[in-house]
Amino acid sequence: MSTATTPTLSVEPPPFRPSLIARGIAFFSGSVGFAIKIALLCASNALAVWAIYVLITHSRWPAVVVLTVATVLIDLVYLAPRRKTLPLKFLIPGTVFLIGFQIIPILFTINVALSNYSTGHILTQGQAIAAIKINSLSPPANGRQYDIAPARDSSGKLVLIMHDETGGKVYVGTPKGLTELPKGDVKLGATGQPTAAKGYTIITGAELFTLDQQLRDFKVPTTGDAAIQPQGTAIAVELKPTLRYDSKRNVFIRITDGTVFHDNGLGSFVSGREELEPGWKTYVGFRNFSQIIHNPLVRKPFLTIFLWTFVFAASTVFFSFAVGLFLAIALDKRGLRFQRLYRSVLVIPWAIPGFLSLLVWAGLLNDDFGVVNNLFGIHVPWLFGGNVFSWLPFISWPRIAVILVSVWLTTPYFFLVSMGSLQSIPSELTEAARVDGGGAWQVFRRVTLPLLLVAVAPLMIASFAFNFNNFNNVYLLTGGGPYNGASSIAGNTDILISYTYKLAIASGKGSDYGLASAVAIIIFILVAGISAISFWKTKSLENVR
Amino acid sequence: MQNSLKRIWALLGVTAAIGAVAATSAVASHKAGPTIVIWTDANRAASVTKVANAWAASKGANIQVVTKDFGSIETALGTVASADAPDVVVAAHDWTGQLAANGLVEPLFPSKTVAAQFPPYTLDAFSYGTAVKKLYGIPVQIENIALLVNTKIAKVPSTFAQLETEALAAKKKNHLSFGICVQQGSGGDAYHMYPFFSGLGGYVFGVNKAGNLNPKDVGVANPTFLKNSKLIDKWNKEGLINSKTDYSVCDSAFTKSQTPFWITGPWAVSDIQKAGVSFKAVQVPPIAKASVPFLGVNGMMVTKFATTHNVDAAAKDLVVNYFSTPSAQTQLAAAGGRAPANVKARATDPILAQFGRAGKGGVPMPNIPQMSSVWSDLGQAWVRSTKGAGAMPAARSFKGAARAISYKIG
Repeated sequence: MSTATTPTLSVEPPPFRPSLIARGIAFFSGSVGFAIKIALLCASNALAVWAIYVLITHSRWPAVVVLTVATVLIDLVYLAPRRKTLPLKFLIPGTVFLIGFQIIPILFTINVALSNYSTGHILTQGQAIAAIKINSLSPPANGRQYDIAPARDSSGKLVLIMHDETGGKVYVGTPKGLTELPKGDVKLGATGQPTAAKGYTIITGAELFTLDQQLRDFKVPTTGDAAIQPQGTAIAVELKPTLRYDSKRNVFIRITDGTVFHDNGLGSFVSGREELEPGWKTYVGFRNFSQIIHNPLVRKPFLTIFLWTFVFAASTVFFSFAVGLFLAIALDKRGLRFQRLYRSVLVIPWAIPGFLSLLVWAGLLNDDFGVVNNLFGIHVPWLFGGNVFSWLPFISWPRIAVILVSVWLTTPYFFLVSMGSLQSIPSELTEAARVDGGGAWQVFRRVTLPLLLVAVAPLMIASFAFNFNNFNNVYLLTGGGPYNGASSIAGNTDILISYTYKLAIASGKGSDYGLASAVAIIIFILVAGISAISFWKTKSLENVR
Repeated sequence: MQNSLKRIWALLGVTAAIGAVAATSAVASHKAGPTIVIWTDANRAASVTKVANAWAASKGANIQVVTKDFGSIETALGTVASADAPDVVVAAHDWTGQLAANGLVEPLFPSKTVAAQFPPYTLDAFSYGTAVKKLYGIPVQIENIALLVNTKIAKVPSTFAQLETEALAAKKKNHLSFGICVQQGSGGDAYHMYPFFSGLGGYVFGVNKAGNLNPKDVGVANPTFLKNSKLIDKWNKEGLINSKTDYSVCDSAFTKSQTPFWITGPWAVSDIQKAGVSFKAVQVPPIAKASVPFLGVNGMMVTKFATTHNVDAAAKDLVVNYFSTPSAQTQLAAAGGRAPANVKARATDPILAQFGRAGKGGVPMPNIPQMSSVWSDLGQAWVRSTKGAGAMPAARSFKGAARAISYKIG
C-alpha cells in the first residue's frame, strides 16, 4: 500500500465535497427534518387517539391509561430540548416494536398456557351461567307454541296477543298470566299470526325492534315454573327450566332429581362425570404443563417425534447449505456465460410461495400417479411407504421426501448467502494458500470454508430454528402421515409443531388453546436452548480471524 | 428563542391533529332502526344481502353483510370483540356442537308449520345438547356425495357386484391403478370413504337414550363392520380402490372417460360438464348394508351477540321466519350451488335433484365437538388398508383407529 502515496503535484486538489451521508444529515437537520418529525408525531398521536377511543368503547381502562401515558411521554421526548433526551430518541422506536411484536405475544402465550382456554371454555363465568340457564330451558311434555303479536293494552302496557298453534284458541299474555280472548275479537293473518285485536293496538314496524330487551325478559307464567317466552317477535314457546341456579352456593341444581353441579375449579359445573355446557375461561396454574408430562398421548411418542424434528431441521439446513454452497462456488467463476440467468433461475424455488410449491410437490411425488415415479419408471413409495430398509428403523421414504422438498425450498437461501460471503473473502488469502502449495480441496477446506462459516453459521442456526417449527413443509406435503402403526396417533413425518396442532386443535373435544400454548412454550425453550448452545460453539469459529 | 418558538408551533400542530381525529371518530354514523350484522362466505354474500334486505325493507331494519372465509367463521366467532361481532352467521351443521358448547349461539324455536317444511334429519343436524337437545340453526342447503357414472362407457349399476365387475373391467382396459375413483391422498379422507364405510356396517357415534350422539360409543370397529372388513382387503388386492388417488387424478381420469366411476360431490359437476361427459349421479349400490353418504347441511344461526346488540328478536325473526321460507331458500341455495333444505323449495336443477336422491337415508356428519378426533384416524385407517402392496389388513387397521379415537376422546 505504500506505493500508492506517490505525490501528484501537477493536479489541483479537488474542491471539498462532503460525503453523501454528511449532506443527508445536513439536509434533514434543518426545517425539513423538523417538519417530518412533526408529521410523524402527529401520525403517531392520531393513531393513539384512535386506539384510545376504541379502547374506551370496549371499557379497557388499564390499556387506556398505559397508552395515554406512553403517548404523552413519546411527545415529551421528541419535543423536549435536544440534549437531555437524545439517547431516548433513538431507543424508543425499537423498544416500541420490541414490546409490540415480541414481549406482548410471549406474555399472551404464557397467559393462555396458564388457563383452560379451549372449546367449551371461552366465556366468562357470568356469561356461562347465563348460557347454562338458557340452555336448560326445555319445552314441557305437552308444551305449546304460539304465534304472537306484541301489542299495547289501553293503558299502553306491553302484552302479547297469542294464537295457540295446536288448539287454535287466542289469548292475551301478560306478566301475570294467560287470559283467553273471544275468537271474534282477534283477526289472524295467513300464517296464523294475530293482525288485529279488539281493545289492543298491535305494535308494528320499527317500534317492534326497540322492544328487544323487553321481549327477551317478557314471561307469561303458566303452571309451576314454566313460562311462555317470546322467541323473536312472531313466536312464543312454553319453556320450563330443568336446572336451577343457587347464587349463594354457586351451584346448579337439577330440578327433576336434585343433582347438584359444583364449580370444579377448572371452569365447569360438574356432578360426577357429568358436566354442564358451556364452561368458562379460568386460570388453572401449571395444569397444562403437568398434563404434557402425564398425558400418554404426549409422553409416548415425544422422544421419537423430537428426534425426527431434530433430524429434519438439521439435515434440511446441512444439505441446503452443502448444495447452496456448491452451486455458489460453481457459478462464482469469472467470465462464466449467462451467469446472471443461472443465478436468477436458482432463486426461483425461494420466490414461489411455499404452500403452492409444496402442494405441487405432493402431486409430483405421488406414489402411483406422480410425475417423479412415472418419469423415471420407478416405484418409490414417497408419501405412503414405510422404512427404506427393513433392518433399519427411522429412515423411511416419506421422511426422505420431506427432507428432499425442504432442501429444495431452502437451498436458494444458502446459495444467495454463500455467494455474498464468498465474494467478501479476500482473494489474497486463497492465492497465498495456493502459493504455499495447497490443492483446491485443501484451500477450500482450510481457508474458504472457515472464513465462510464465520458469516454463515449464525444464519444456519436461524434456519435450523425456523425449520424446527416448519409446519407447512410437513403438513402440506404429507399431513404428518403416513400412519404406519395401527393405532399410531403421531404420523411418521409429524414434527413437534404439527403433532401439537393435531393434539391441541384437531383432537379430543375440539380445540385446546391452553395445551397448545403450553407445548409452544416448551418448543420455544427447546429451540432457544439448541440455538444458544450453537451460538456459543460458533464463537470458536471467529478465532480464525 | 427561535427553538422554543418552534416547539410551541409543534405542540399546537400535534394538538390540532389529535383534535381532528377525535372529532372524526366521535361522529359515528347512526341509522334508524336496528342493524343486523350477518357474516357469510363470498359465494353467498350477494344472495344473502338480497334476501336479507328484502326482509329488512319491509320491517324497517338495516342489514350489514360482512364477507368472511367460510371456514374461518366458526373460529372467529369465539375470538371476535362484541362490538364487531355478527348477529347472524352462515354456518355448517357440524359446527353446531362446538358453537353451542362454547355458548356462542342461541337456541331457535321455529313454529310447527315452519319445522314441518324441513326433513327431520336437517333439523337434527343442527340440534345439539348433552342434557336437553336444542335446535341452533335453520337449514338452508344440503349437500352430499354420489357415485357419478359415465353413461357413455358404463351402465348404471344396480348391485355392488355389478359395479365391481364394471369398474375392474375398465381398470384392466385402460391400465388404471384403481377401479372406482374416490379421493383419499396421504392425509386420508373419511368423508369420501363414508359410503363404503356405511355399506360395510360402520358408524361413527352411536345414539344414547336421549337421542343424542354418544362420544363414548365409537362404531369405527364394531363387530358387523369387522366381519365385513375382509371385503376391503379383497378390494385392495384387486385394486378396486386405491388410497393414492386424489381429486385431480379422479378429475382427469373421469373427464377423459378413462374411468366410468367417480365418487364425488356437486362441486365436480362444472368440470365434467365442460369436458362434455354425460353422467348420472346415483347412490353407491348397497354392500352389506345401504351405502349412504355423509350429509352436510348449511344454514343460518343466531349468535349470542344479538342479545348484547339488542337485535335478538329481529335476528330470530329474520332467521327463523324469513330465511326458512321457500323463496328465500331457493335463492340462498342457488347461490351455493346446492339443493335447498326446505322441501317446498325443490331444486330445479336436474343434477342437484339426482344428488338429492343419492343422499337418501344419508347420515348428517356428527356435529359434536368430539368429531374432530375422528376424521384423521378414520381416514388413515382407509389409507393404510387400501394402499396396494404392503397394506395393513383392514380389521387390524380399523381396530387400531378405533383405539386411537377413543384414546383421544378420553
